[in-house]
Formats: sequence, structure tokens, C-alpha cells
Amino acid sequence: MMVGLMSLTGGEIKIDGYSITKQYQKAIRNVGAIVENPEMYKYLSGYQNLIHFARMIPDISDERIEEVVKLVGLGARIHDKVRTYSLGMRQRLGVAQAILHRPKLLILDEPTNGLDPAGIRELRDYLRQLAKDEGISIFVSSHLLAEMELMCDRVAIIQNGKLIDVRSIKQQSDDQAESRRFIFEVGNVVEAIAIMARLGHPAEADGQSAAIAVEADRELVAKLNAAFVEGGVSVYGIRAQSKSLEDQFLEMTGGEQIV
Amino acid sequence: MFNFAGLVMNENMKIYRRARTWVMLGIMLLLVLCISVGTRLIATNLPSMWSVFNWESVVGFLLITVFTTIVAAGSVADEFTTGTIKLLLIRPWSRSKILLSKYISVLLFALLQTVLLYLFLLALNALLFGYDNSAASDSIAPFYKGTAAVYFIQYFFYHFISLIVTATMAFMISAVFRSGGLAIGLSLFLILIVNSFVGLFAILNYAWVDYLLFIHLDLVQYLNGTPLREGMTLGFSLAVLGIYYVVFVALTWFVFNKRDVAA
Repeated sequence: MMVGLMSLTGGEIKIDGYSITKQYQKAIRNVGAIVENPEMYKYLSGYQNLIHFARMIPDISDERIEEVVKLVGLGARIHDKVRTYSLGMRQRLGVAQAILHRPKLLILDEPTNGLDPAGIRELRDYLRQLAKDEGISIFVSSHLLAEMELMCDRVAIIQNGKLIDVRSIKQQSDDQAESRRFIFEVGNVVEAIAIMARLGHPAEADGQSAAIAVEADRELVAKLNAAFVEGGVSVYGIRAQSKSLEDQFLEMTGGEQIV
Repeated sequence: MFNFAGLVMNENMKIYRRARTWVMLGIMLLLVLCISVGTRLIATNLPSMWSVFNWESVVGFLLITVFTTIVAAGSVADEFTTGTIKLLLIRPWSRSKILLSKYISVLLFALLQTVLLYLFLLALNALLFGYDNSAASDSIAPFYKGTAAVYFIQYFFYHFISLIVTATMAFMISAVFRSGGLAIGLSLFLILIVNSFVGLFAILNYAWVDYLLFIHLDLVQYLNGTPLREGMTLGFSLAVLGIYYVVFVALTWFVFNKRDVAA
């Protein structure tokens, strides 16, 4: 919809100030996209695929093609037929065609689909670098929340076609630095809870292991640690428990069936 | 408008970088080569180069029609099948121009085959049977005035016009149904099967039969002075073909521009 493949049911989309319906060619000029799997012409070589897409946009020099090829690290295989590429290589070729014309906005739909862990990481680092070095805005849609948490600065959650929430990932972890849930791994849970009670802080045993969970800020954590050590309770580890995007997502959407 | 030629080059690249295109051209040339050489070796009484030319152009055009249909049908439908249509459409080009570039490349392919067949037949048969500059009425077309070489230029030209209409039909089916197999199957069915019943239709004494596409696809009937139906003229046939052509093109463009390309 954002790139004009489907007609809009309502509202308007503007990219760089141009309406996608009325000034399609100007709007799309600044956009690069990979829609689902990066489908390329399998009977052409990677290089021919890039030539193909370069011809559709004015002023793409051969040097730019070489540059992009180097950027996505396909140099050695670029003249082989796409048929022989692995999924990761096709994905990289997909990225190459999307950034060929130096777009201001890069739209990726499920970019990590079918990639191996190394490929996912590579793609993520690469996208981050692109956003930083070339100043490209990147718009990603995905259902892999953990991946999005690592990849994005801001997330928007859409449920049943309605925008539920937009939030910044960084900001949210800063907020939580103030007071959040900490897990203490201790040698003697009963003793530790007793010490906590004496200090006037409710604590609970954390189910599975020899650990207790506390709501606390940084200062309190240090104080508790000192109290445990004084009271003869061995502390093996302290860690902060942060809510993952997934938890927040389920909270927000009420854990309903998402279709 | 910037480089539209680039789009056509793209489409040409997608046609000629595929092995199947070369296989098709190879089959065509090999087949007529076999016929010529075979005739040369077997015949005790050597036929004139133009009669061999004549048989081979019938066979050749049958193949050209089939191959052009395959390419025309694949042109749009393959992009949908592989999903590349999405990458193709999100460029600063209107859909009409992308479609036009595909259409042009299909017509160029048809033209290439036609010219190639003509030149190949001319060279091959002149070589094997000796060039003869006789009038067409001597061997193949009793009513035609002029040399056989000129007759065949006209013959090929008429066939090329039918070829354009056929290719446009396949192209339309391809764009409307987005399925290459359906486009190939349906077009070939219409062309090959219905054509064999054309004779039957032609005898029917109804006015509407005059407006059937298939009655008019074979323009060579006018060259030989034997129209399928009485009173039909070349001008009338061209007009009917023209109307069908406009409808095909309009429908293709309309559907392609309106369609949602689901992700």
C-alpha cells in the first residue's frame, strides 16, 4: 500500500511531501523496497538484475552498481546466475537493488524471513550502518518481536488494522532504569527473605531456582546486597529483569488471537 | 521523460537471456533446414526453390505463432508468478509505460522471428535449389502478379499482421489472468483448434460470422484470391482485426493499471 501496489481504502500517504496517489513517480523516487522475499530474475546474473533495476532510474552509474555490490558483499558471485544463490545472498541482492538509487526511505517487509542466524545478524548490522552512514530512514514490518527489538529505534504496533501504539525502544529501557524488577540469586532463600522483611521490603521467592525477586531502583539494589552479605547470605548474582517487547506486545493487545 | 528505451532493453534482456528463447529459434531454423535438405536429397525431380519456400513458410509461421504466444504469455504472467512484479512496479514509472515496454519487446520478438525466417528461407533454398527469379504465378499463387520473392515479402507481411493480433491476445490473457499457463493454453487453443473449424464457420450463412476474429486472421487468402467468405475484402478484414486489436489493448491496459498487486 505504501508503495502504490494496492489502492488505499482511506486516508493519504505522503513520502517526502509527495502524495503516493497523485504524484506517484515523485513519491516513489525516494523509496527503495523489498517486498517479502527478494524475488529476482533467477535466469539472470546478480549483476544483470542490478542493471535491470538501474535502468529504471535515471543517472545510476556503473560505479554506483559496483559500489553497492561491494557494500552488500556479493563481489565474488555477482556474475553468477541468481538461481545458484543462497537465500541470504538473494536477500543481500534484494537490499542492493533497494538502495541502488540512494533512497531516503527504505521499506522492508519481513526482511529476516528465511535467513539463518548469521544472516539475520549481518542484515541487522548492515541496516543499522546504512541508517547511520547514509541517513536513510528504514521502515520494517515484521512479526518477529525479539528481532525488531534489536533492529529498531521505534516500534508501532498494529492490531486488526488499527494502530495501537508507537513507542521508542531506547526510551523505554531508560524509563525502566529507575525502578524495575531485580532477581537476586542467593544461597539461602528463607534467610534472605527474612533480611528483606527486616528492612521493610516485600520480596518473593522466584519459583524455579534459589532466587528472590524484588522491585527496586539502583540504590536499593546496592543496599540490599550489602545487607545480604552482612547477614551471611551468599549472593551469586544480581540481574535486572526487563520486559521484552513481546511481553509488552501481549500486554497491549490483550493476548488476543492476532490474525 | 527519461530513458524509456532502457525499459525496452530490460524486457529484451529478459527475453534473450533465457535459454528457452534460443531453443525456440533453434527449433524453427533446424526444422526448415531439415525439410530443405531432406527434399534435396530425396527428390528425384527437383522442385523450384519457391515451392519449398512455400511449404516451409506455412510450417515456420505455425511455429512463430506458437513461440510468440509463449513469450507474450510469459511476459506479464511470469512477473506475477515469480513475484518480481512488485519490484518492477515500485519504480518511478507509470504502470502503462512498464506494460508498453513489455508489449514492444514482444512485438520486436515477433518481428525478429519473421525477418529471420524470411532471410533464412531465402538463403537456404537459393543455395540448395538454385535462385530463380520467376513470377509467383508459375509455381505457387496463380493469381499473383509479380515475382515470387515479392510475393513472399507480402505474404510474410500479412502473416505478421495476424501475428500481432494473436500476440496481443495472448498478452491480454496474460495480463488479465496473471497465469502464463492459462495464457499459453487458451491462446493456442483458440488459434490452432478454432482455426481448423474456420472452414466450417465460413460456410455458415449468418451475418455475425463476418465479424468473428478467426475468419480474418488468415490474410493470405486475399493474396491467393480465395477469400473464405464471399464478398469479404482485405479492407474489411483489416477493419475487423483493428477493432479486436483496440479492444484487446484497451482491456489489457485497463486491467493492469487498476489491479491491486497483493503482497
